[in-house]
Amino acid sequence: MSPFEVGEKMPDISPLAVVETGAKLAEDVRIGPFSYIGEQAELAAGCVVDNSVTIAGKTSLGENSHVYPMAVIGAAGQGQTDHGRCIIGEANTIREHATVYCGKGRTTRIGNNNLIMIGCVIGAGASIADHGIFDNCSHIGPGAKVGNYVRMSGFATVCPDKAVGDYAFVTGYASVDRDAPPYSRVQGSPIRVRGVNTTNLKRCGFEDEDIRAIKGAFRELFNGSGYMVDKDVVSRMLSDPNPCVQRLAESLRGELAGGVGK
Amino acid sequence: MTQVKVLREIDPSARVSPEAKIGPFCVVGPHVTIGPGTTLVRRVCVSGHTKIGSNNVIDEGCVLGARPQDLKYKGHPTLLLIGHRNRLGRAVTAHIGTEPGGFLTRIGNGNVLSDRAHVAHDCYVDNDTRIGRDVLLAGHIRVHDGAVIGDLVGVQHFVTIGRHARIGPGTPVRRDVPPFTDFYSKNYDWDEPPAVRGVHQYGIAAARLDKEEEKELRRALSELFEDETALQTKIEQLVNMGVEGAVAELCQFVQRSLQGVFGRHRELARGKAPPEAELYLPPELKTVVRESIP
Repeated sequence: MSPFEVGEKMPDISPLAVVETGAKLAEDVRIGPFSYIGEQAELAAGCVVDNSVTIAGKTSLGENSHVYPMAVIGAAGQGQTDHGRCIIGEANTIREHATVYCGKGRTTRIGNNNLIMIGCVIGAGASIADHGIFDNCSHIGPGAKVGNYVRMSGFATVCPDKAVGDYAFVTGYASVDRDAPPYSRVQGSPIRVRGVNTTNLKRCGFEDEDIRAIKGAFRELFNGSGYMVDKDVVSRMLSDPNPCVQRLAESLRGELAGGVGK
Repeated sequence: MTQVKVLREIDPSARVSPEAKIGPFCVVGPHVTIGPGTTLVRRVCVSGHTKIGSNNVIDEGCVLGARPQDLKYKGHPTLLLIGHRNRLGRAVTAHIGTEPGGFLTRIGNGNVLSDRAHVAHDCYVDNDTRIGRDVLLAGHIRVHDGAVIGDLVGVQHFVTIGRHARIGPGTPVRRDVPPFTDFYSKNYDWDEPPAVRGVHQYGIAAARLDKEEEKELRRALSELFEDETALQTKIEQLVNMGVEGAVAELCQFVQRSLQGVFGRHRELARGKAPPEAELYLPPELKTVVRESIP
């Protein structure tokens, strides 16, 4: 059975909410007062939409997602009226006043189990993987790519079309204007690599051995400079016995080839 | 003039004073108490176990008493207390407390919170503070009386902001800010962390100290923060001289911060009920807190 198929039970919609005809709601969706659900929106089972939320555009919201008051999902760009597509996975929490834009011609994608806090802005065409935590007022630019288990602190920004690697930590007020390597802790504007995000790696169940190998690789790659990648070191690390170090080298090689990170 | 039906949703079990003004598109949850003279302008959402005192003005788009963003919160009905005469700007958010943090978030009396300011779980904002636009107060923060926080300031969790201190706009605050000081970062230089860079003149004026006390305080502040090396010894010298009043308060504050983790005294109370919880919690919750957290 499709998660959007309408069954016997009716969704719990406040009489003060506006749901356009054509919106697909699963049977146990809850919608609070003064919320607006657009005609092309799809809400899967277990979704909770609080009051004064706007869900517009071709937006699909995965199972058990919770949208808090005043959030806007599937917003068109400034001054535009045609909405693009926005696909949001399961069990995401989108907090008060957060805005998720949907791109014209490019799809905004959010994976599963993300916590998007108050006042966050996710730009059009951005793609976010799973298990991320984005602190208040963090901005993810249009077309940016964010990996798994990423942590972003308050006021952190990812510039348009830049990437943040898996398990990275972006400190408060930092602006990711070049790709942030995986496992890293980046700070400042322009960003500088300040070390390995050891706390997150431990929480995610990395072995001590892996963490030690990643630390060694970081020392070799970024020591003293904050951000300077040596091509020779990267190519040597591609054949490193440790898979984590290999992954780090691969992401950095992609960046060197792409011409970003200058 | 035509009177259009006002759309709002107030839960029948909410205790809203008849003298409170609730504007259109407001949503008030079942366990909310709103005192007389309080105005909810438009599109305000108040949920959770939230108690709002009298004569507050809560502007458009505020969301008060929502679930904390802390992952340790397990859904216990914790509290948000807002006192009297506060002015909350547009889109201000304040959350209820968490179980390990002492069950309570409190905003005192006469505070001004500007647009989009955020007061997270287990924060204690005392009286007559000025909090600027887009200010983020993370969890477990204490803001003492009369503190002035500039726009776009992000404050890390467990920080204490002293009485009548000032924080400059755009400053990332990672450690305790001593009372009566001016704290900011220099030219947005990332290698130079923000520090105490002077005396908050208006703060000292607002504290209305005696002439002699003020003189002593200014001397102590310049002595301590002109050059922050050997802060501990300088404070010990001051304490040994036998200081009192505002200077003693300053010395005690800095000493406590130095004992803390990375200059944050409240970090020592991580996972325990803070002393303020005992002070402000209603009696029926005190026993719950004492039983569940040390």
